[in-house]
Amino acid sequence: MKTGTTISAAAHVGVLLWAVLVFDVKPLENAGAESIPVDFISATDFSKMTEGVKNAQKQEAPKPLVEKQAERKPVTEQAPKITEKQEIVTASTNTPPPEPQKAEPKPKPEPTPPEKTEKVEKKEPEPKADPIAEALKKEEKKNKEEDKPTEAKAEAKPVPLPQKKPPQPKQPKFDPSQVAALLDKRDPARHAATGETINRTASLGAPGAEAPELSQSELDALRARLIQLWNPPIGIRNAGDMIIRVRMLLRPDGTLAGPPSVLTSGRGAMYESARDSAIRAIFRGQPFNMLKPQTYETWKDIEVTFDPRDMLFRG
Amino acid sequence: MNPADVAQSALPVSADLSIFGLFLQAHWVVKLVMVGLLVCSVWVWAIAIDKTLLFNRTRRAMDRFEQAFWSGQSLEELYRSLSSRPTHSMAALFVAAMREWKRSFEGQARSFAGLQMRIDKVMDVTIAREIERLERRLLVLATVGSAGPFIGLFGTVWGIMNSFQSIAASKNTSLAVVAPGIAEALFATAIGLVAAIPATIFYNKFVAEVNKQSQRLEGFADEFSAILSRQIDERG
Repeated sequence: MKTGTTISAAAHVGVLLWAVLVFDVKPLENAGAESIPVDFISATDFSKMTEGVKNAQKQEAPKPLVEKQAERKPVTEQAPKITEKQEIVTASTNTPPPEPQKAEPKPKPEPTPPEKTEKVEKKEPEPKADPIAEALKKEEKKNKEEDKPTEAKAEAKPVPLPQKKPPQPKQPKFDPSQVAALLDKRDPARHAATGETINRTASLGAPGAEAPELSQSELDALRARLIQLWNPPIGIRNAGDMIIRVRMLLRPDGTLAGPPSVLTSGRGAMYESARDSAIRAIFRGQPFNMLKPQTYETWKDIEVTFDPRDMLFRG
Repeated sequence: MNPADVAQSALPVSADLSIFGLFLQAHWVVKLVMVGLLVCSVWVWAIAIDKTLLFNRTRRAMDRFEQAFWSGQSLEELYRSLSSRPTHSMAALFVAAMREWKRSFEGQARSFAGLQMRIDKVMDVTIAREIERLERRLLVLATVGSAGPFIGLFGTVWGIMNSFQSIAASKNTSLAVVAPGIAEALFATAIGLVAAIPATIFYNKFVAEVNKQSQRLEGFADEFSAILSRQIDERG
């Protein structure tokens, strides 16, 4: 028994040691799911997806129609611009010049003015980032250009320099007379579709994209409202014959501009009652608030189809 | 919860998943189970090694004895050479029967009447003793084989219970928090199986071996009894 116990104990210790040494835990390779970029688009965005032209050339990826090339805005140049501004605003460079005027002889002032003008000129061609700053700069630039002649003189004489400097600290002040400059003076009439490259040919577009003028959500809301109010007679035989198309003219506030006109025709008491019910539904459904005033042009004259089969589907 | 926070909180938890680390992190009940099962395993293997050696020894001794017995050698001589030292298995059987035989003949009153019965009884007792010697500690193997997995399972259940309580306390259900506790708990079952599987296998093997050897002993006892019976009849 002794030998057995000894051998067994020794073997166990050996196995345990081996296990401790060999069984190191490796973390699982995290293959993970590939990350998929996800964009949130609203139902409206979806319905406004590029409408294709049927005879367009097939492209690998549908490109949006671009009428105007977007400006590339220099982003990186903003940082140096800020530092430059600070250099000029600091009073340290402004204050010394008067002293040399008094004490120093003529040779000294001469090198300094070029420096100043350099700085001033440096400031002028600053890259424009935001429209407000742009507008302010424009105003300033005009002032500068008016001052230019004096500046030119200043190169010869260092004396007028201090006079020219004071306007600059004024810069951050809010000037009510310059409010007009803050306004966006671009033509509001039309916003061309912009992109990096001009693309005048419409692509085939995404399959099933409708690009309706009215967004799908608005149309659906309108349809749902009318269907809800429409009570076609029970027991319709040929639902296909009961399709009623109604044209309505609407005001911007969503109310009817005139009596709706029925475009389809049919016969029978059933059809008439369905038609009357549809007209009643239109009257009762107004104002159609679900139609956005921004898109009034698209829905001021609209045709609506009442289809009993839709009703059946809706249960 | 922020993924970065999860990752950070998960780091120290999953730091040590080595076998030793798993043991150290376990609840003391689970530790007790693990240590107990480890001791069981050591004991099982000790018994297994011991029994294997014993059975081998016994088989070889039987072979040697049978060879000597059937070699045509005088039984008296064989008895003299064997009775000088303690014997096992078949030799012990032979010695016990011969001793009874000799006593019956060397005594003053020759008692043949119950000799056959006495020799059978003596041989039965010797066989029982020999089998008991072969079978000793096999019950340990049976017990470990059947109870080991349950003990391990108990440790696992306890460990998982414990880790679920910790999860409830930390209010975090990410796998990084759950996994170490469960791994540690499952370790107990693993040790239980490691102890139980060899125990079961060895138990079955040894039971079969004991049956074989006891049948061999009984066969020899019957044979020897027949020889002695013939002798009694011839002399009587």
